[in-house]
Amino acid sequence: MTMRIFLLLGTLIVIVLLPQFLAPFHIRVVQLFFFTAALALAWNVMGGLAGYWSFGHTVFIGMGAFAAAHFVAKLGLPAGPLQMIAGIVFGALFCGIVAAIIAYPILRLRGIYFAIAMLGIGQVAAELANNVGWFQGDVGLFLETALPDGVEPERFFYYVFAGLFLFTWMVSLVVMRSRFGYGLLAIREDEDTAKMLGVPTEQIKAFGFTISAVLVGMLGATYAYSLGYFTASSVFRIDFSLNMIIYCLIGGIGTLAGPVVGAALMLLLTQIILGQLLELHLLATGLVVILIVLTLPNGVMGLVGGEAFRRRFSMRAGGKAR
Amino acid sequence: MSATPILAGRGITKNFRGLTAIDTVDFELHQGRIYGLIGPNGAGKSTLFNLVTGYYPLSSGEIRFEGKRIDGVPTYRLNQMGIARAFQISKPFPAITVRENVRIGALYGVSGPRDVDAVTEEALALTGLTGIAERMSGGLPVGNLRKLEIARALATRPKVLLADEPCAGLNPTETSDMMECLRSISRRGIVVWLVEHDMRAVVQVCDWIYVLEAGVKIAAGPPQEVIRNPRVIEAYLGTPMTENGEEA
Repeated sequence: MTMRIFLLLGTLIVIVLLPQFLAPFHIRVVQLFFFTAALALAWNVMGGLAGYWSFGHTVFIGMGAFAAAHFVAKLGLPAGPLQMIAGIVFGALFCGIVAAIIAYPILRLRGIYFAIAMLGIGQVAAELANNVGWFQGDVGLFLETALPDGVEPERFFYYVFAGLFLFTWMVSLVVMRSRFGYGLLAIREDEDTAKMLGVPTEQIKAFGFTISAVLVGMLGATYAYSLGYFTASSVFRIDFSLNMIIYCLIGGIGTLAGPVVGAALMLLLTQIILGQLLELHLLATGLVVILIVLTLPNGVMGLVGGEAFRRRFSMRAGGKAR
Repeated sequence: MSATPILAGRGITKNFRGLTAIDTVDFELHQGRIYGLIGPNGAGKSTLFNLVTGYYPLSSGEIRFEGKRIDGVPTYRLNQMGIARAFQISKPFPAITVRENVRIGALYGVSGPRDVDAVTEEALALTGLTGIAERMSGGLPVGNLRKLEIARALATRPKVLLADEPCAGLNPTETSDMMECLRSISRRGIVVWLVEHDMRAVVQVCDWIYVLEAGVKIAAGPPQEVIRNPRVIEAYLGTPMTENGEEA
């Protein structure tokens, strides 16, 4: 227990002090890491724990961003911390409400059908945002962050995303240790059997989907703030959807550390190492992904040592669900 | 037999596109007993269990649990009320351990307060799985999978346990272990209803047997009576049996 507290404190200190030692470009890379790792963790709630693989989770990034921008414009609040918090909270809640509404029809679909339906929803939402004039997705929207003099935006958003990452981590941890988390797990393993054990599968799936959407919506709205100006194509991005899946796959799907390790590894590879290769960069990234998936079916976390890894990082840790 | 049965069906009928799989079947389960359900393959035994546990809707008839109508109630609610089921084809949650499998039953199952750890360990102990509780469930031998089905159902703290062929694929020693296990479950006040082809086991453990043939209940009664019933012999047993369920 004390070991864990030290580890947590150490991590916090590193996160707080890190920007002092990094160049602006690298601060941005770490900021991107917090953002994408949090996205992968949020995807993992449904994809990893319940086995419902969404191929269109970017819909909640876009929806969060658009909801936030329109909401604060209607509200007429001046740019500043209050406006930013209002925008992010509204973006998150809006995604949660939409998710709760579409949960019942869409979660009746299983496996590949659910994945394709989510992909479709992502594309439809992007088209609507782009082509329906009211949304202004083609001309773009502004979300200003009024920073005091001397505060650099990359540092500011570094800390914001660090905070949201830790929040998402905590939510994931609580979910995994809870009775609800075991319910998701039972659904992943065998949905029909889960019903026979008293698991209210419909409600649990809908709740998990909503939690996942709220987290992604929160991150999407914040991402829009970090961009300052965005169009439909900068927030509805299929590569966001795919990255969430790939990071989980590479790190170890269904585990707490997996999505984070996957995000760190892939960012390190793509942004830092392979970034030097310029033209060959995407080709090299693709090859690395194929290589990892082929050689490590359980992700990098699977390497840490089969059973022992599961004990520590999978849902079994602690095991004091209530 | 005048008390309200814990689980009862009246006129249960199920049609699949014109084919009548279950035809006006009645049954009554009472406290403190072990029931059997026998019949040739395709007689509708598993279908009847699927109807009772809400996997299929009834075409007509009614099912009552402790006097209350339960047909139309979703499966998970039935389990929360106290009806558990062990599947014929073992359906473990393969990527997690034996203990976690059982734990999910203990975390959910019958509503109300519970001691999850105690319930889990008790179900593991009763079925003899404590020693392999940390093993992954996928890839367990069939004997242990059967025990796991029972343990997980038991962890939901049911009042009625429907066990669909718990001895399929087991050797004689494992079969008699399983029967002993079902007896001790019954001693805890849980009504057991058992589908089984091993007639020796059924005759020795059951207090009352229902016989289905082609969706119709052709006999019901104490084992000694049922095995002498000419219709049962003709439809299912083939040869008459002795009192111990041995072929005569």
